Amino acid sequence: MYTMKWIQQDLQQYVQAKAYVDTIIVPLIPFHFSDDASLEKDAFQREVLSVFMRELEKEFSGRILLSPDYHYLKSADKAEEVKRVRSWVEDSWAQPFHHIFFMTVDSSWKKFEQDMNGTLIWLPQIVTESMQFSERQSVVHSQVQQVGEFIRSYWEDDK
Amino acid sequence: MSEDKRPVSRRQFLNYTLTGVGGFMAAGLMVSPLRMAIDPVLQKEAADGDLTNVQLAEGDITNEPQRIDWEIDQVDGWYESKVSKTAWVYKDDNGDIVALSPICKHLGCVVSWEGSEDYPDQFYCPCHDGRYYKDGMNVPGTPPTAGLDIYEHKIKNGMLFLGKAQPREEA
Ligand code: FES
Repeated sequence: MYTMKWIQQDLQQYVQAKAYVDTIIVPLIPFHFSDDASLEKDAFQREVLSVFMRELEKEFSGRILLSPDYHYLKSADKAEEVKRVRSWVEDSWAQPFHHIFFMTVDSSWKKFEQDMNGTLIWLPQIVTESMQFSERQSVVHSQVQQVGEFIRSYWEDDK
Repeated sequence: MSEDKRPVSRRQFLNYTLTGVGGFMAAGLMVSPLRMAIDPVLQKEAADGDLTNVQLAEGDITNEPQRIDWEIDQVDGWYESKVSKTAWVYKDDNGDIVALSPICKHLGCVVSWEGSEDYPDQFYCPCHDGRYYKDGMNVPGTPPTAGLDIYEHKIKNGMLFLGKAQPREEA
């Protein structure tokens, strides 16, 4: 088993390995029903993010736990959302996680990063529908490598 | 690589097999060699077993481990999906091909050849500093307690085919 997700088998593994898993990633996923024009585009970006997350967790499953997705309405007041997000991760800090990352394609979180009680990783939407399948894969792959490096730099600081 | 270029996909293979199941049951195992003989698709699949052409020519395999990625169709119960696989492939000092699984035997992160500048000539796991020698054996004193799994492999028509990664025999 080399992925660690919120499913029973992996959680069993997690409980055994708890001492080694010190990093949690919370995907922040916007949704909405109102704006037809961007529905498709948003759905596509959500797909990209989930492919990205899958690859990332595969690389680092022994140390990173992927939290369930945090969904929020695109139009919602971010200041309010930040409070909810904080309450999520407060629970995580109470567990012995030393590193909490938020992963999103929504740049509007950037302004609130200070208040989030974790590190925001904003993935620019550089994968587009017009790209060939193989091109998408290689872009996602290089994004995973870069974000992986970034996360590892936090681990380095622990040493 | 696009799916239609492959000789037979797993789904097709399953369909073949499933349509054949009734026949198997009625006529017993004797039917099986016969079906193999008359069905070229099945024959091919049987000959290749579960090994996949990973698009690496034998001549391109060097002494330096290189990372190879490929995809297979995997059926998990009722759920079929594409699974990407990775191997580190090189020729050892005897010229024998070695294909190692990148999955760390500690807690399953992905290891890289020379993944740490501090340890050239070793596989390195970024999660808890696990290390392996070039032959895939774990470096004592680092978290992993076993060597990296080894892929079954063969060369056919000059191309490398890889199958399942198997744990090492306990020494
Ligand atoms: S998962 Fe590789 S050292 Fe822990």
